[in-house]
Amino acid sequence: MFQFSPGAKRYEVLIIGGGPAGATAALYTARAGLSTLVIDKGLTAGALGTTSRIVNYPGVPGPISGAELVRLMRDQAASFGAEFVNDKALRAELTGEEKKVWGGQGVYLGQAVIIATGAMGRARFVPGEERLLGRGVSYCATCDGAFFRGRQVAVAGNNDEAVEEALTLTRFASRVHFLSPTPELHASPHLAEELHSHALVSFYPAARLQEVIGAETVEAVRFTSAGQEQVIPVEGVFIYLQGNMPVTDFLDGQLPTSEGGCLLVDSNFQTAIPGVFAAGDVLCKHLKQAVIAAAEGAQVAMAVDRYLHGREKLRPDWSK
Amino acid sequence: MPLLSQEIATQVREYLADLTSPVRLVMFTQEFECEFCAETRQLVEEVAQLSDQVSAEIYNFVTDRQKADELGIDKIPAIAVLGAQDYGVRFYGIPAGYEFSSLIQAIRTVSAGWPELLSPEGVRRVSQITSPVHIQVFVTPTCPYCPQAVVLAHQMAVASPMVRADMVEATEFPHLALKYQVMGVPRTVINEKIHIEGAAPESMVLAKLEEALAGSKA
Repeated sequence: MFQFSPGAKRYEVLIIGGGPAGATAALYTARAGLSTLVIDKGLTAGALGTTSRIVNYPGVPGPISGAELVRLMRDQAASFGAEFVNDKALRAELTGEEKKVWGGQGVYLGQAVIIATGAMGRARFVPGEERLLGRGVSYCATCDGAFFRGRQVAVAGNNDEAVEEALTLTRFASRVHFLSPTPELHASPHLAEELHSHALVSFYPAARLQEVIGAETVEAVRFTSAGQEQVIPVEGVFIYLQGNMPVTDFLDGQLPTSEGGCLLVDSNFQTAIPGVFAAGDVLCKHLKQAVIAAAEGAQVAMAVDRYLHGREKLRPDWSK
Repeated sequence: MPLLSQEIATQVREYLADLTSPVRLVMFTQEFECEFCAETRQLVEEVAQLSDQVSAEIYNFVTDRQKADELGIDKIPAIAVLGAQDYGVRFYGIPAGYEFSSLIQAIRTVSAGWPELLSPEGVRRVSQITSPVHIQVFVTPTCPYCPQAVVLAHQMAVASPMVRADMVEATEFPHLALKYQVMGVPRTVINEKIHIEGAAPESMVLAKLEEALAGSKA
């Protein structure tokens, strides 16, 4: 009931995102003896974690679920001393010697940062969403569920996070309308089962959220499901939709991106700010394959190792 | 039965070990204690046990009216965190869940008498404020984003004698949640009229603060 995380802990390497790029980078930096923290939203938050069946990851004949493959990578990184925290990066200050990343649970400090947040960000808001934020639109059911006691709410999404938040809302709301953008959920089977069997949940498959309606506060949602347009009166809308945009919102424009929003890096995977690196789908440099993201994770880790050790001895090394 | 686990108590004791100036946790409850009053009182008493520099004082909101007025306490449970002076740092409702860390941070900052988490630019701008500012940060104990907003508001209170800052636990004061249309947290209300949704960065809160003051002069 009482959460306490004392003053920020310092790491040599902070890695944002624990998918194949982030977890592999952590494996290499931890093994190189660098203190490493991975900040990650959960096993099924990213592209690999939501993939149900993998049979082409070298050395892992499978079939194996993406979430299981991510878990194996993380366990291996953890076995070399990498730490993982379940948190979401909200903001970052990257320019100083010491980099700061703010999460929901506190601030994290590092000498180098690797951004491996992937490309499942949303491109845009639906009409009404931004205007009614805090007026019924929310992204955190555990934070705001209590304000919707005895009221009807909608949840839009299809992953573990969306299902868990919907189940949280059943403790407060009189009814939870679950709008899944896909015909089936992309969530762990036990969570999906719990949602489908819950008496207070109405499930709408292949439901595309079109608009959040309301003058001062949320009054309804408009969506299409199976070609039919529907409007349901609700007082709260909790949105956990994903897209295919690089996840860079927490950077507030501190780093240059391409027109498509992809982070730009040099041949050492370093961004325009010294000590800040990026790898994986957030670069949109390649086909979205786990093995390629993992390879970039290894490359970026070695670049970070050189960066951190190069600072201590600035003597040029002519042998290379 | 203690509220704080042995593990948390040990962490807090270590975290507060280097305090050099005393902090008083002045808590208001009443004879027939409200739903969270008894727990808040117990929490304050337990925290006071964790540092030689921290003491607990318990007052009755009804019979110690003068003390309540002096500190501007208008609802309970309430905690005023006082140091070398009253910086205007308040908690209304129990600082439980994620907000417990806001209480511990407030103790450190008030003891130091210096807003160590504000940027130099932030300290400069806040200390230039010449008219009263009241910041209310509405929270729930289950909100991981909320302590950031509460701690920032309390830092600003310590930075300026003009600024007072309250954490308000929204579910314990439903009439205030209704009055300020709180449907999501954190929600920061500055001088009754400026609202900020979510845990905004320091620069944005500073801009809103200056906006609130510009509005009051016009």
